[in-house]
Amino acid sequence: MPLAALLLLPFLGSVLTALLPTRARSELAACAGFVSAGAAVWVISLFPRVRDGGVIRETISWVPSLGLDLVLRLDGFAWMFAVLITVIGALVCLYARYYMSPEDPVARLYAFLLAFMGAMLGVVLSGNLVQLVVFWELTSLVSFLLIGYWHHRVDAQRGARMALTVTGAGGLALLGGVLLLGHIVGSYELDVALASGDRVRAHPLYPAALVLILLGALTKSAQFPFHFWLPRAMAAPTPVSAYLHSATMVKAGVFLLARLWPVLSGTELWFWIVSGAGMTTLLLGAYIAMFQHDLKRVLAYSTISHLGLITLLFGLNSSLAAVAGVFHIMNHATFKASLFMAAGVVDHETGTRDIRRLNGLIRSMPRTGALALVASGAMAGVPLLNGFLSKEMFFAETMFFSAHPSVEVMLPVVATIAAIFAVVYSLRFGYDIFFGPPSTDLPRQPEEAPRWMRTPIELLVLSCLIVGVAPTISIGPSLAAAARPVVGGTLPEYSLAIWHGFNPPFVMSLVAIAGGVLGYLWLRKHQEQGRLQDAPFVGRLNARRLFESALLGLTRLSRRVLRLAGTRRLQTQMFTIIAVALLLALLAARGVPLEWGDRDRLPASPAFVLLWVIGAVCAVGAAVMAKFHRLIAITLMGGAGLVTCLTFMWFSAPDLALTQIVVEIITTILLLLGLRWLPMRIEGISRPVTARDRMRRGRDLLLAIGAGSGLAALSYAMLTRPAPHSISPFFLSRALPEGGGANVVNVMLVDFRAFDTLGEITVLGAVALTVYALLRRFRPPPESIEQPHQQRAFPADVVTDLVKPRTAEDAARGYMMVPAVIARLLLPVSVLVAAHFLLRGHNEPGGGFVAGLVVAIAMLMQYMVSGALWLEARARLRPVRWIAVGLLLGAITGLGALAVGYPFLTTHTAHVRLPLVGEVHLPSATFFDLGVFAVVVGATLLTLTALAHQSLRAHRRPTQSPASSTSEGTS
Amino acid sequence: MTERFPHLIVAPVVLPLMTAALLLLLGQKRKRAKSIANVGAALAGLLVALEILHGADAGGLSGAARVVLMSNWEAPFGIVLVADRLSALMLVLVGVVSLCAALYAEAAWGRAGAYFHALFQIQLMGLNGAFLTGDLFNLFVFFEVMLAASYGLHLHGSGWPRVRSGLHYIAVNLLASSLFLVGLAVLYGVMGTLSMADIAEKIALVPARDRGLLHAGAAVLAVAFLIKAAIWPLNAWLVPAYSATSAPVAALFALMTKVGIYVLMRLSTLLFSAGASAQFGGTVLLYAGLATIAFGAIGLMASMSLGHIAGFSVIVSSGTLLASLGMGTPAVTSAALFYMLSATLAVSALFLLVELVERIGSDGQRRVPDLDVEPGEDTNLDDEEAPLVARAFPVSIALLGLAFMVCALLVAGLPPLSGFVAKLSLLTALLSPRGGGHASAGAPVPPAAWIFFGLLLLSGLAATISLARAGIRYFWSSGGRLPPRLKAVEAASLLGLILCCILLTLFAEPVLRTTSATAAGLHSPKAYIEAVLSMKPRPGPTRPVIDEEAP
Repeated sequence: MPLAALLLLPFLGSVLTALLPTRARSELAACAGFVSAGAAVWVISLFPRVRDGGVIRETISWVPSLGLDLVLRLDGFAWMFAVLITVIGALVCLYARYYMSPEDPVARLYAFLLAFMGAMLGVVLSGNLVQLVVFWELTSLVSFLLIGYWHHRVDAQRGARMALTVTGAGGLALLGGVLLLGHIVGSYELDVALASGDRVRAHPLYPAALVLILLGALTKSAQFPFHFWLPRAMAAPTPVSAYLHSATMVKAGVFLLARLWPVLSGTELWFWIVSGAGMTTLLLGAYIAMFQHDLKRVLAYSTISHLGLITLLFGLNSSLAAVAGVFHIMNHATFKASLFMAAGVVDHETGTRDIRRLNGLIRSMPRTGALALVASGAMAGVPLLNGFLSKEMFFAETMFFSAHPSVEVMLPVVATIAAIFAVVYSLRFGYDIFFGPPSTDLPRQPEEAPRWMRTPIELLVLSCLIVGVAPTISIGPSLAAAARPVVGGTLPEYSLAIWHGFNPPFVMSLVAIAGGVLGYLWLRKHQEQGRLQDAPFVGRLNARRLFESALLGLTRLSRRVLRLAGTRRLQTQMFTIIAVALLLALLAARGVPLEWGDRDRLPASPAFVLLWVIGAVCAVGAAVMAKFHRLIAITLMGGAGLVTCLTFMWFSAPDLALTQIVVEIITTILLLLGLRWLPMRIEGISRPVTARDRMRRGRDLLLAIGAGSGLAALSYAMLTRPAPHSISPFFLSRALPEGGGANVVNVMLVDFRAFDTLGEITVLGAVALTVYALLRRFRPPPESIEQPHQQRAFPADVVTDLVKPRTAEDAARGYMMVPAVIARLLLPVSVLVAAHFLLRGHNEPGGGFVAGLVVAIAMLMQYMVSGALWLEARARLRPVRWIAVGLLLGAITGLGALAVGYPFLTTHTAHVRLPLVGEVHLPSATFFDLGVFAVVVGATLLTLTALAHQSLRAHRRPTQSPASSTSEGTS
Repeated sequence: MTERFPHLIVAPVVLPLMTAALLLLLGQKRKRAKSIANVGAALAGLLVALEILHGADAGGLSGAARVVLMSNWEAPFGIVLVADRLSALMLVLVGVVSLCAALYAEAAWGRAGAYFHALFQIQLMGLNGAFLTGDLFNLFVFFEVMLAASYGLHLHGSGWPRVRSGLHYIAVNLLASSLFLVGLAVLYGVMGTLSMADIAEKIALVPARDRGLLHAGAAVLAVAFLIKAAIWPLNAWLVPAYSATSAPVAALFALMTKVGIYVLMRLSTLLFSAGASAQFGGTVLLYAGLATIAFGAIGLMASMSLGHIAGFSVIVSSGTLLASLGMGTPAVTSAALFYMLSATLAVSALFLLVELVERIGSDGQRRVPDLDVEPGEDTNLDDEEAPLVARAFPVSIALLGLAFMVCALLVAGLPPLSGFVAKLSLLTALLSPRGGGHASAGAPVPPAAWIFFGLLLLSGLAATISLARAGIRYFWSSGGRLPPRLKAVEAASLLGLILCCILLTLFAEPVLRTTSATAAGLHSPKAYIEAVLSMKPRPGPTRPVIDEEAP
């Protein structure tokens, strides 16, 4: 698997470098360099196999059901890119060894560089479009990390974020486009897509797919209007700029254009978007580059411009232009990488990259200067250098392009103007800093760069020269191999000769060079006088600022939308929920018949109606008073509960009534106990009621009426139906014979639906634990700590026969004496009643739940009359244990059935004959019910103690004796 | 029923229950024993869940739903627990997340307040029970178990943001529970039965004149689940609650929104797959789901703090799942199930990470640059005129940074991890509505699918921007930083979740095979209904013979 190994190698190298000591820069550079060099040799050795249009492919299965497999595919074009990636990668590793400061923890840099190399190889080796997107996004991510390498700097952070946002968004668009393309051709395989170009171009989804894919390509290659991220990415260390942001990653966009050229090109739409973007970028980039003062930014804008040139070539829908585009990709990578490295040498040696401050460097660094000059010559398109050749081909394409007359005229003109600009900025880069009187105010004394730092530049410049002088021998075969797959298999006629005769392209070159030199002289004169420091006309239109403010605006807008669409208020949430429920219920019942049932109606009796009127008044009253007087509200709620209880009685449901009444009692008492600790209602806030308030109240009232009547209608509709398929008769008929109990409700609780009961007691336990855990940390508000009015009737110094209960251990010593005695006497009676309820529960009203509540009420009374201290000094209540034991009892009873091979919670009744008592039916459900009982007692007591201990805490604090208050008495 | 342990599917409910009881008995002092019990029980739960999944996945494409009758009463009358593929998948998800959360809690949170461990186990019991039960009222019970424990867990550690958001959370959920009961009552009134399978079978028999009431009841019931599933506009409670609570609890809560999704998925396919009420509510789900994605994405764009980002990612994933449910095709459902696995694990990991990341101290030298303000014009690239030196990351921060990056990739659905595979599978399924995996050429795509398609991509972008912003803020801008103390259990739990996602990525194919079998089973619920209704109780002393005919 040569390709898989090739792809894996850089990633392994990345992990390896990450594990090496972070400042061992020589070792790190050697490790990374050898990995890249090894990969380069490997790639180059594969050339014979792809030379004549051969394709190496390997498939590793990943997610075949999604059409996503790792398909590695190396043809000539991918090979060319792979060579660029690995060779320049190796050179950059060497260069970075000398460029980075010795103190810099460079392991991260090398790890990311190698990871990038892997990701980029993944892009070019992809034989599957989705896989290409995967690696595409990886390159964006690694680029983000590399731009932010000096992450403490704000420009690095911003540059990284902008690059990620733009290219990441492009990547997502690309994903969408690729999926559409796959949808059109029926596969994500590149080969399939390449073979079905006609089908794709004819498909109605073609424009959408094309636009999305182009969004990906143009953002990645920094084409107008997405070009602004690239200059910002220059915040990265220079080796990164040389590698990612000139030679390889930004080429991924044009790589994609070339890769999908046979599929997508050849339409009007393609021409207008691609060549339009390319031409604008070509001109704009070159224009802005002329006015930059930072070496790296000159190069950045020049890169943008050259990428525009390549894009334009691919947009021309001509295969000869595509060949020229491929050629220029190679040439640009070599001369631009070397220029970036030279710029890095300059700022490394001088401490600045400002063209205005740099002058006459040729004396102190002659070799670097010579290399930089040759490379800028290639950038400007000077004959005998590689840049000249591809530029000539470009000129020829613009000359012979046939389309609309206006385009035919405009294209060569634009090309020539851009070439003039290119000569100008090349001169500014090369001539301006190396010639003239040497600068004296540089931060550091410049000197020649170390030998090995220059080596990568030398190699790159040498290749510029060789290609420029002898193109046919040096680059001919590779170019042919690389261009063949791009144009769909058959190469057009083209000639790589240096001299084509005195033809229009050559004239254009001459014009460009001459115009460029003149332009440079003119610009320098003006700039020396302090004019034209910034690019005229476009200086205001700062795409970066537009982007930043757009992003910021987006954030602000989302906040505003969020405030509108979301809320933090409970009231609004409640309103929304009820309104949505009402609305959806109405919507759901729409379109299908909704009728009352036809079950026989019972005649209403006056007494029952009266009962319900009382209940309704209580309920409405509770709602009304909830805001104004909590005590009354709770009392009224109790009233409504009682009516419910009586209704159960009325309809002969004694068990429900019994449970309801004890539950009512206990909840009301607990609520009242808790009420003590709520903050007072603040009276006297009187704000005039506005019309808006009235509207809101009216709205709420409407909703309340709507929801209430809806609920009433639902209940009525439901109660008037006979429910023909109901399961309830089953329970009535089976409770005694098979459930072993005459009380159907209880049999349901402990047998038919015992699993529900087990869950419910767990809920009870969990709620009690929650209340306890919450109140344990709770400190009552100051105004609640004071003793209530009733207990403050007598000032402390007044002599009275009333013992202040709060200062005494035993609250019952004072006026609570009589109730206390009664309550204590009632305790054993209550326990007896509870035991009675528990035992008879299976056959008559009662059961563990009611029994537990009875005991709990009895204990509650003790707390109320005697106080927590007195009680807990005498009885060790351990509510948590009660809960735990109850839950265990329930679960173990259930598991017992498993032991004899029956499902969980299956009941069994043992018939035992006991002496004296006679025959006893002992259902296993009794143990289960005992568990219920224990949990109910425990949960109620735990809640109670949590509330009761508030009073201890509240009154301890002023007297400052916290030591004795820690006895919380629970578990 | 030839599997190894016929009653094993009771274990996910009973095991946490008994563990909780034992934890309560252990008392406040014995911290070590409690820790071991809690983590041990979570581990055992995971193993049991894996065994159940193994059993459920073995039964061919039709799938063998394993049914156990509680108290030995047959289906429409008693309560059944059913473990089909979907339930088993959810159990495994609970197992993984709970184990990691339990492990994480051992670092500090387990000791921060009273009864954390017991409530944690009760919460697991509720989650597992809700995924297993085949009875609507029992579902309500387990919802309550889950919620009751979640109230306590949410408030665990106290502090006013928790109490404030917690009280809102409790109020909203109480209202939701009331709606649940109302809907349940109406449904029972019409159908006369509570067993899901029985309702599914009888729903075709409902006379036309009852159908309006049935639909109204179902709608009210659905609202309860939609609140839990955090659909817009019923999700305002989520972000404050999830971002205020402690990290392990938040990780666990990421599962709770999935309970709502699960129930909707289960009931909508079971009840409304065919017949007169087919596709009931599908449109509402679809468009509300899309609105939820948009809301979540907007929230992501607006959020700066990592906790809020995690909260809004939960909303985005909920919206995605609800909208996929609304599409109502097996292919989309299958993709959505995969998405659910990946998104839940990822968001849980993110919640665990939030707290660790926020622990990165700053030495106070530099103000954290606020990314919310527009920067000044041109910052000079070269202002220091000295070779720039990068700052080395301390190991703990580097590891956290790596974990953050992985989580960000997962949450945003960027390549190459499972988040991307999930998103890809959803997108592919949307483009090929008739299923069949590969992009099927030519088939028309409904307009809603296009909106969904675009929103999925855009929400990914919003997540990317938002997470990059947060990452820069927490890892890059915080000046001189003090490496946080990172305990082994915290790192291990985080690593566990991330590792699961990586495994999900590597073995995406077999997992997708399982989810597509799950989706197929969901969309043709005949097998499920038959498995439940044909399960007969074991004859015993009190129940000698089972007469075939229900009275």
